Amino acid sequence: MSWYYSKNGTQLGPVTEQELKAKGGSGEVLATDLVWKEGMPDWLPFGQLAEFQALGVVPQVPASGAMGSVPMPQSAAYPAGYTQQIPNYLWQSIVVTILCCMPFGVVAIVYAAKVDSLAAHGDIAGANAASKSAKTWVTVAVGCWLAALAIYAVFAIIAIAGSSIH
Amino acid sequence: MHKDRAIWVSLAVLGLAFAAYMLRETGGAGWMPGCIFRKVTGLDCPGCGMTRGTYALLHGRVGDAFRFNPVGMVLLPLAMIGLGIEVIGWVRGKRLPFSLNPGRWGATVIMVVMIVWWVGRNVV
Repeated sequence: MSWYYSKNGTQLGPVTEQELKAKGGSGEVLATDLVWKEGMPDWLPFGQLAEFQALGVVPQVPASGAMGSVPMPQSAAYPAGYTQQIPNYLWQSIVVTILCCMPFGVVAIVYAAKVDSLAAHGDIAGANAASKSAKTWVTVAVGCWLAALAIYAVFAIIAIAGSSIH
Repeated sequence: MHKDRAIWVSLAVLGLAFAAYMLRETGGAGWMPGCIFRKVTGLDCPGCGMTRGTYALLHGRVGDAFRFNPVGMVLLPLAMIGLGIEVIGWVRGKRLPFSLNPGRWGATVIMVVMIVWWVGRNVV
C-alpha cells in the first residue's frame, strides 16, 4: 500500500509502509506531519495512526497545540500537486504500443490519458483505478510480446535445425 | 541508488544499442520478427513502419523516416525521454525534481492522435 506524506505543505510520496516507518524512525517524517493512503477518508497526523504508534517509531501527538502549524487539507481534497503523484504510465503505454506492436498498448494509453483528468476533477479513486488499469495493460502488452518473441525464437531454431539436417 | 536496478537498466540500454547497430547494418531482415499484429490480422498497428523508419533515420534519411510512421517518429522519442527521466529516478530511488508530463490535455491529445492514426492508416 502506497503512502503519501506532507512536509511544509509539499506533497511527497508514494512510499511503501516500510519506507514510511523508516522515515518516522529517522525523524524525517514527524508525528505532526500529515500522511494519507488510498482508502483513508482524510489526511491524518502521522503520530495519530495506531499502526505506527504500536511500533514505537512515532512519538505520541499531544492532544492539542502541536498541530497548529500544519496546514490541514480540507476533507478528502488533495493538496496542490497531488495529481502529479498518481503514475499515469503514459510514456510506458506509448513505448509498448510502438515497440511491442501490441494494440493492448492503445488500451493502456486510453487509461493513462484518463488518470490526470480524473485526478484533476477530484476523483482520486477513479484516477488510481485508471492508473492500475494502465499498468495492467502495459504488462499484458509486454507479456504478449515476450510470449510471441519466445514462440518466434522456437520456430526460428526449429527452422535452422531443420535446414542443417537436410 | 539501487545497484540491481542500475544493472538491469544498463543491460537494457546495451541491448537497445546493439539492436540499433544490428538494424543499421542489416535492415532487420532475417532476424527481426516483424509486427505480430500485422502478421495475424493483415492490418497496420500504430507502430508499424518504425523499423523501416529507424533504419532510414540511422542512415540519415530523415524524410523517409517520417514517411514510414510520422506519429511514431515524434511520439517514441518523446516517450523515451519521459520514460528515461522516470527510470533515472527509479534507479536512484528518488524522483528527479523535473519530469516530462504532457498534462491531462496533452495526454488526451496523444490518445486521440494515436487512435485516429491507427484507424486512419488502415482505412485511407
